[in-house]
Amino acid sequence: MDTVTGVAAYDEMYAAQTPRPEQAELHRVLARLSAEELHDRARLRDAYLDRNGITFTLGERERPLPMDLIPRIITAQEWQVIEAGVIQRIEALEMFLSDVYGPGEVLAEGVVPRSLVTTSTHFHRQAWGMQPSNGVRIHISGIDLIRDEQGGFRVLEDNLRNPSGVSYVLQNRRTLAHVLPEVFAGHVVRPVAEYPERLERALRKAAPVSNPVIVVLTPGVHNSAHYEHAFLARNMGVELVEGRDLYCRDDRVWMRTTLGPRQVDVIYRRIDDDYLDPLQLRPDSVLGVPGVLNAARAGNVTIANAVGNGVADDKAIYPYVPALIRHYLGAEPILPNVDTYDLADEDQRVYVFERIESMVVKPSDASGGYGLLMGPSATQEQIDQTRAAVLAHPRGWIAQPVVTFSTCPTVVDGGRVDARHVDLRPFAVNDGDEIYVLPGGLTRVALPEGSLVVNSSQGGGSKDTWVLDTAGAVQRPAPRERRRASVEPDLPARHEAPRTHDERLQQQERQQQQGPPC
Amino acid sequence: MLSRIAESFFWIGRYLERAHATARMVAEHHQLIVEEAPADEAAACALLLDALSLPDDEAGASADLVSIVLGSADRSSTVAGVIAAARANALAVRDVLAVEVFEALNAAHLSVVRGRGLARVDSPGVALHRVVERLLVVHGVIAWAMPRDEAYHFLVLGRSLERIDMTARLLAVQHDAVWPESGSVATLRSAAAHSAYLRRAAPDGDGVREFLVLDPDFPRSMRRSAVEAEEAVRSIMALGAGGGTELLREVGMLRSALEFAVNPTPDDVDRLAEQARIAAMTASDIADAAFFRQSGTIVWSH
Repeated sequence: MDTVTGVAAYDEMYAAQTPRPEQAELHRVLARLSAEELHDRARLRDAYLDRNGITFTLGERERPLPMDLIPRIITAQEWQVIEAGVIQRIEALEMFLSDVYGPGEVLAEGVVPRSLVTTSTHFHRQAWGMQPSNGVRIHISGIDLIRDEQGGFRVLEDNLRNPSGVSYVLQNRRTLAHVLPEVFAGHVVRPVAEYPERLERALRKAAPVSNPVIVVLTPGVHNSAHYEHAFLARNMGVELVEGRDLYCRDDRVWMRTTLGPRQVDVIYRRIDDDYLDPLQLRPDSVLGVPGVLNAARAGNVTIANAVGNGVADDKAIYPYVPALIRHYLGAEPILPNVDTYDLADEDQRVYVFERIESMVVKPSDASGGYGLLMGPSATQEQIDQTRAAVLAHPRGWIAQPVVTFSTCPTVVDGGRVDARHVDLRPFAVNDGDEIYVLPGGLTRVALPEGSLVVNSSQGGGSKDTWVLDTAGAVQRPAPRERRRASVEPDLPARHEAPRTHDERLQQQERQQQQGPPC
Repeated sequence: MLSRIAESFFWIGRYLERAHATARMVAEHHQLIVEEAPADEAAACALLLDALSLPDDEAGASADLVSIVLGSADRSSTVAGVIAAARANALAVRDVLAVEVFEALNAAHLSVVRGRGLARVDSPGVALHRVVERLLVVHGVIAWAMPRDEAYHFLVLGRSLERIDMTARLLAVQHDAVWPESGSVATLRSAAAHSAYLRRAAPDGDGVREFLVLDPDFPRSMRRSAVEAEEAVRSIMALGAGGGTELLREVGMLRSALEFAVNPTPDDVDRLAEQARIAAMTASDIADAAFFRQSGTIVWSH
């Protein structure tokens, strides 16, 4: 598929017109499904998602997150690289955060310019010196990856604050098995269902006490990701709370319940730093809990993810992450970055401005694809506006050459199948002893032809993502002995309404049908 | 009330519960087989068929499994067969049955037995969901429109005894033996108990079994079903029906065995579950003798 850059995107399904070996089985099944059949299944899928309320709120409208019917396949070998690379990155970023909110050696040594850290909008001095109880700051992360033109995985951005979308990973699997079960045949797919359990364990281990009360803090039902907040709370069996359900007293956090106040030990918060504590951060926040930061500082509650993580996923810090990996771990990055230009640097800025048509220009502190300029498809007016914005505040912007993401076959209008660009967000949970990477993650797909913007807030869709267990690389627990034969019930044939009852009815029926002679 | 009518209501209660629980079980089982293909698919199918006392020699794959369990009107213990039987009983008591209840049951029967829903076994999840949904409407209309008279109490008695039986069959599947990681969740989902359970503990086999046998609040736990059965028998007796004493003793003893189990070990839970299953069967026979056929069948001979 030709694209704006002139370089063909990596096609995950075909190599030289033939399906790649790992895709062959899927290809065979898909080839048997007609466009009408796919279209039918798409209707079933929408009905299923709507009925189950699996939705994403965009603007004022609540809609099902568009889920494509064709799964995306990642081989066991590819997954090993991704998993190792994500773990390595989280390890380095954890050390970076603990450094900048502590001794600051990394800044003193000049690995990262001090000014970049101190000017980051997500660097919160209020979090300085706070020690998380098990040392973890990045409990949950989503590292966005893409496959470049050669098929290699690269990191596009880090999400260390409130990455969302994991509920869709779990629901996509269930939905696909529900509406298109035949595609699973012939594949051993690594399951994703244990995520809530892993998350719960990580939150428990992050707690200051041994048998903690855990809550999920949501901004409320009007938040676009509210479905996910409720999903996670329900599946972990913990309370979903809003800011007004919590209050602080004596540097402790309490939850208002019908049985009186109950102390909270871990807050998995899904609200942004700025809104978390009006006493310390944004004073006009009505979503947060006044005093919660002091309670955390006193060690009486754990906030996950930690306050101030945004400094590490700032897009202006991103170019330095490979250097951080070398600095802290003494190893080469397993997953490379995408080339990135720092627009605060005058030479780089001039270079970018000269070829802005082939660049993506992004605000360094935003997420969700907001404010992004896609050079090749931008109008002159948009380019001028962005140029002016960059000049007014160069620290706030970065630029990257347009990378053509890989493509996957995707069902488009009327059941037709066509290649669309995809990225991948693997989710990682750090419990302090182990970083667990959910096998697969969220594949986001840019639905308009040729588009490279996959954010769900910009009309992107998603795909069920399969990590194959072909190599038998993963030890699954062996089936257990069935339990105690002595008490295993010997189930008899079923109780039924007595046959005589039926026979009598039938005989009656026959006689009634004859009726009286007329 | 006529014994014949009481018997029909009792069986409407049983069959509706059996259809509903069976449809849920197969939907979950099918989904699990698709998502986490077991090494031996036919064996995984046979587990469910055995638990449902259905012949297990025809199911080679998950799609066969669904069509066998959905079944047809003339095959007993299949979803379609059971719904047809419920409807046959409803027809026989149509004069005393609230119009709304008959309509809802009839609609379920039409959609399941005659409807195209069943033909769509290539999307079995969708077909099964439709069945479950129609049956929920029937339950809803019963709760909403039926007077709490004798007929209602017989229906509840049948339903709660069947619940105990179906929960025993669900536990007999032992999902966690085949799927150590996700089996317990599947057991819970089959009983619509997942959300209710998660607030207590992380799902593990023993905890889930104890929940489904001994939980005081969950509507499909054996203990809760025994409480309902006992209440139904007491209500029937309060309305003047004679001959319920033996039945009351049977369900009352079951209820107290489940209610007062002290620190049960996993083995105790298994024993109590089996005891409950047998007691439910016995209670059904006692009800039959006490209320539906108390004079014995007269056989005419030439």
